Amino acid sequence: MKKSMKNELKIEGESYKTQQTAIHKRKKRRPSRVHSVQSPAILLIGMLSRLAARTVQEVRPLVLVRPTSTSAVQRAEQRDEANFPRPVRPVEPGKVRLGFVPEEWFQFLYPKTGVTGPYVLGLGLTTFLCSKEIYVMEHEYYTGISILLMVVYAVKKFGPVIGQTLDKKIEDIEQSWRDYREGSIIQVKESMEKEKEAQLSAKGQDMLFDAKRENVALQLEAAYRERLARVHSEVKKRLDYQLEVANVKTRLQQKHMVDWIVKNVKGSITPAQEAATLKQCMADLKALAPKA
Amino acid sequence: MGFGEYPPEYNAKIHGPYDPARYYGKADIPFGQVKLGELGSWVGRRNMSGIPGAVSRAFWRWNHKYMLPKKTGFAPFAQLMVGCMIVFYSINYGKMVHHRNHKYHW
Repeated sequence: MKKSMKNELKIEGESYKTQQTAIHKRKKRRPSRVHSVQSPAILLIGMLSRLAARTVQEVRPLVLVRPTSTSAVQRAEQRDEANFPRPVRPVEPGKVRLGFVPEEWFQFLYPKTGVTGPYVLGLGLTTFLCSKEIYVMEHEYYTGISILLMVVYAVKKFGPVIGQTLDKKIEDIEQSWRDYREGSIIQVKESMEKEKEAQLSAKGQDMLFDAKRENVALQLEAAYRERLARVHSEVKKRLDYQLEVANVKTRLQQKHMVDWIVKNVKGSITPAQEAATLKQCMADLKALAPKA
Repeated sequence: MGFGEYPPEYNAKIHGPYDPARYYGKADIPFGQVKLGELGSWVGRRNMSGIPGAVSRAFWRWNHKYMLPKKTGFAPFAQLMVGCMIVFYSINYGKMVHHRNHKYHW
C-alpha cells in the first residue's frame, strides 16, 4: 500500500525527498506528553500530601543510608524488613521541656488537661511534697539550689558554643571517612584509566616495533646503495687510470718515435748534402728574388 | 540465658542487625490496650525471668533516644541527675525524716 502511494506521488512529479518527509510526518503523530496536561492544582496537592506523610512519621530524621548492602544477612530471603527495619542513628535527641522532662509526657496529658496540665501537676506535686515535708528542705536543699543555679547558668552560657565545636569535630571526622571512600573510588577509577592507557600504549608498542623494523630496512637499503655507488666510482677510477695510462703510453711512444726519426734524419744529412741543399736553396731564392 | 548472649528468639537472617532496644519474642498486646477482662490473663503471661532483659531494653531505649543521637544536648545528663537525686533521696529518706523543720503538718 505504501509503495503504491509512493508511486502515485512520484507520478505527480514531487521530488523523492518531499515524498519521504510526507510519509514520515503522517507516522509521527504520537499522543502528546502526559505532564503538560496536569493542572498546577493537582501538582500542589501531590506535594502537600507528601509533606503531610513525612510529618506524620516519627520525628527522628533519617541519616543517609547507603543503598548498597555488603552483608549476606541483609539479603537473606526471610529478612523481615517491615517489622524489623534496619536501626538508624537519629541526629536530634528526644525533645524535653525544662531541660529534663520528656515532651511525650506533656503530649500524653494534653487531651485531658490541656497545655497547663503537666505544669499544674508538677506544681501541685512539689507543693504537696514540701508542705507535708515528705521532701525536707534542709541545709542540703539550699546547697542543691545554688548548684542548680550554677549548672543552669553554665549550660545556658557555654552549651551552644561547646555543642557547635563538638558538632564541627564530628562533622570533620565523618567528612574524612567520606573523603577516604570517595578518594578510594576516584583512585580506583584513575588506575582503571591508567590501565586502559597502558593497554593502548602496549598496542602502540607493536606499531613502534614495525616502524623500527622498517627503519632498519631503510638503513640497510641506504647502505647497500651507498656501497653500490662506491663500487661504481672505484671501478670508474680504475678504468680511467687504465685509459690515462694507455694515452700516456701512446703519447710517449709517438713523441719518442718522432724524436728518433728526426734525430736519425738529422744525423743522416751529410755535410755534402747539407751544402748542396743550401746552394740549391740560395739559387731558388735568387731565382725568386727578381720575380717579387 | 546468660549475660552477653543474644536472646534465643533473635535470628540474624530474619531480624537483621541486633538492636538491644527491641524485643524479639512474640509480640503481646501493649498494656495500654489491654481490656479489663483480659487483665488477669495478661498478667499471667508475664514471667519473672524476663525482667533483666526488660530493664536492659529500657536502658537501651533511653540511650537511643537521648544519649546516642549525633547532636545531643544537656537533657540526658539532667535526667540522670534528677534520677539519681530521686533514688538517693528515697534511699536516705529514713534519715531525712529526722531533719524536718516542723513537727506537725496540715
